Amino acid sequence: MCDTCGCGHEHKVIDVNQSLLKANDEAAYANRKHFNEEGILAVNLISSPGSGKTTLLEKTIDALKHEIGIGVLEGDIETELDAERIRKKGVPAVQLTTGGACHLDSMLVHKGFHLLKLQLKGKRLDVLFIENVGNLVCPSFFDLGEHLRVVLISVPEGHDKPLKYPKAIKTSQALIISKSDLVPHFDFDMEKIKKDALSLNPRLKIIETSAKTGEGLNEWINFLIHRLHR
Amino acid sequence: MHEVSIALGMIHELERIARENNAKKITNVKLKIGKMSGIVVDSLTFAFDAVKLENPVVSDAALSVEEVPLVYECNDCSKTFETDNLYFPSCPVCASYKLKIISGEEQHIENVEIEV
Ligand SMILES: Nc1nc2c(ncn2[C@@H]2O[C@H](COP(=O)(O)OP(=O)(O)OP(=O)(O)O)[C@@H](O)[C@H]2O)c(=O)[nH]1
Ligand SMILES: [Mg+2]
Ligand SMILES: [Zn+2]
Repeated sequence: MCDTCGCGHEHKVIDVNQSLLKANDEAAYANRKHFNEEGILAVNLISSPGSGKTTLLEKTIDALKHEIGIGVLEGDIETELDAERIRKKGVPAVQLTTGGACHLDSMLVHKGFHLLKLQLKGKRLDVLFIENVGNLVCPSFFDLGEHLRVVLISVPEGHDKPLKYPKAIKTSQALIISKSDLVPHFDFDMEKIKKDALSLNPRLKIIETSAKTGEGLNEWINFLIHRLHR
Repeated sequence: MHEVSIALGMIHELERIARENNAKKITNVKLKIGKMSGIVVDSLTFAFDAVKLENPVVSDAALSVEEVPLVYECNDCSKTFETDNLYFPSCPVCASYKLKIISGEEQHIENVEIEV
């Protein structure tokens, strides 16, 4: 009989000591292993809605699609729109719709990866881009099995974003400051955003890009190629 | 609201733990959540209380959450101190910014109480 509540049942305390994100982390581990075995570099792109993730992917595909095999998983709450934009560029893409969740998880990525392979029909895949759901908070909690996490902050969002969204900065290896062509139109302190981001994550690679003028795109492509051959 | 996903994952794990231990019910779940984990305890509790209702094994489970303070150790003078400054903490003794985090990033299930 139970001492505390007298309910007539036996109560026991079981030590668990495991992460709240265990299911996701285990699936992420399996994804990463799978990518490694196939020599694929997986890149997780995270940002607020509209920072320019899909646009950056379109430019990246233009620059690289004849050199390397690219595939894309597009995460959104609803619609096939982003996957259609990618397919127009002649690259296979799978749309993952979360049906409400504000982030991708590694189980969904696993499913998407297998769907992508069907589209690839045996073609070689060197880089798998995973565009996360537009959200600067929640995606940073979920390891997807990626090798490289890239966070985008666009100029119109303001230079204060690293301090407001530290987890995204701390868990990423690269920060893209996108829409740099818009700097003249905003009170955007480029030095401050870099300083704040580096103080949160001293090893962060920071690249300013503009899909409009092409600024920084070469640096981004070189960074990717360098990671691919590492 | 990543807390909803976290709560759903938690229910999944609790069901497994209940099964493995032949538990009729889970009555309490003890969590450790660090101040810097980025998990909002109220949101997590709210989400858990909503999603637990779908499964009788966990529907009566209460959450007890221990919030773990943010503690750093100074690399320069070895002072250990607690702080609420999430972003730019510095050592209260020597003002150094070279700190090592000791606690505050926890996000785990410590133990569960079951009814057998
Ligand atoms: N001026 C300027 N506009 C840009 C740039 N990059 C993207 N945009 C515009 O920003 C808007 C959003 O771009 P997307 O690439 O769709 O952004 P996203 O991050 O994929 O958006 P979600 O998937 O909805 O989160 C579009 O109107 C783009 O044309 C840039 O470098 N400069
Ligand atoms: Mg997009
Ligand atoms: Zn000190």
